Amino acid sequence: MSRTLGALLLCTVAGWAQAQTTPEALGWLRKIYDATEKLSYTGTFVYQQGDRTETSRIAHRAGARGGTEKLEVLDGAPREILRTGDEIRCYLPESRTVKVDHRSDPRAFPALLPEQVDGLAENYVIALGETRRVAGYDCRAITLTPKDDLRYGYTLWADARTGMLLKARTLDLDGSTVEQFTFTQLRIGDVPRERLQPPRAAQGWRVEQAGVAPVDLSQAGWRVGAELPGFRKIVEIRRMLRDTHPVAQMVYTDGLAAISVFIEPLVGRSEAPRIGIASMGALNVYTRKVAEHLVTVVGEVPAASVQRIGNTVEYNQPQ
Amino acid sequence: MKTKISALMDGELASHELDEPLQALAVDAEACEAWRTYHLISDVLQGTALLADNCVRRVTARLVEEPALIGPLPADVAPPERARWFVPSALAASVAAVALVGWMAFAPQEKAAPLLAPVALDQQPAPIVVAKKAAKDAPARLPMTAATRDYLIAHQTFSPRNSLQGMARYVRAVSAESAPAKP
Repeated sequence: MSRTLGALLLCTVAGWAQAQTTPEALGWLRKIYDATEKLSYTGTFVYQQGDRTETSRIAHRAGARGGTEKLEVLDGAPREILRTGDEIRCYLPESRTVKVDHRSDPRAFPALLPEQVDGLAENYVIALGETRRVAGYDCRAITLTPKDDLRYGYTLWADARTGMLLKARTLDLDGSTVEQFTFTQLRIGDVPRERLQPPRAAQGWRVEQAGVAPVDLSQAGWRVGAELPGFRKIVEIRRMLRDTHPVAQMVYTDGLAAISVFIEPLVGRSEAPRIGIASMGALNVYTRKVAEHLVTVVGEVPAASVQRIGNTVEYNQPQ
Repeated sequence: MKTKISALMDGELASHELDEPLQALAVDAEACEAWRTYHLISDVLQGTALLADNCVRRVTARLVEEPALIGPLPADVAPPERARWFVPSALAASVAAVALVGWMAFAPQEKAAPLLAPVALDQQPAPIVVAKKAAKDAPARLPMTAATRDYLIAHQTFSPRNSLQGMARYVRAVSAESAPAKP
């Protein structure tokens, strides 16, 4: 009930108080994209969801193809992620595993190019908000209010000088915070190469390759029925999960939020699949069985949206 | 307090006076006892058919037995506040008042119920029953497992937000929250 009300209220407010996306706000979004790509920086940020927080360290060294980037989780087991160009390596000490992922098909690279920013205004009202200090930087707020209840809203705080994103908050239909990233410390400037080395302990860990390859799912008989308004398909691939599980993955996006639909055969699985919804901050995961296959929908969208897209997945024996 | 509860039952309190007795009913066993006793008296006087006297306890026990729903965490619910809204129409009949007590116990679950609504119950009955949990202090949630983490990492690779926020958002995919309980 309160959700419906919230959505109504949101629509009313969006339609009435700030009906228009302003060019200045779009300009700020472009500035953030630029900064993310071109700035080198090191910093510490806190991720909050529900009543939980987790602190991580991040370092980015600008360069060709996005440069090099490293994320280290500082709480609990020292998990690390290293990205070099299009290759992503996740170092997971609990299972002594390195997961290697590739954005192999450059056409499929879903980076939102600055010239595509304007397209976001189809699904969000983008406006400038107040100015606030975050981690010692004077920041400008940019609000993205969704035009329907299929996606979340966002408030972004970017350094007024460089455009570096210092804080990002995801909001649900009621305007409550779903999750938040906040830098507590940030240093913009050159980062030495040594800061971006893989963890030494990882030698000898098991390496799992995603082995991404293109695939045609409709030819195999799969169909995602009515797709979500405002979302378009950007990726359709075959890949491995845990080395042994081949899965198909389709990715839909509205330019900001993404939804992945995974399809994999149930044959040969030792444990029964868990059917239902799980969530983690703004991420919702919906699992369902279709024609002896497991369909897993993962998206940074409201639970109803992953359910909706998941429920339209169909299989028809190809002729 | 008993005077106030009696006045509350008779609908003699102004809206700004409702908070105090309702708060008391939420926490004070003696106030609840008075509430029940007054209704019993009223029922006897009016000749209303009686419900079994352990009705509330049984309804509450049954609710605890209910399987937990899987879904995003419902926001914290304060039953007295909902109850306050409910009061004017509910006080008239004593049976309705008993229902109120049962309803108050039910409130935290009722908030979670709408999560079920979007699930299409078509040929693939979706969802959602998994664990038996005490309704109040154990929010229902299907935990992220090591297996789920694989999907999150695979998904994150293709998120357009990466180009807005760098890799910070990967933290969700490798969060301790999504870690297996054992290696």
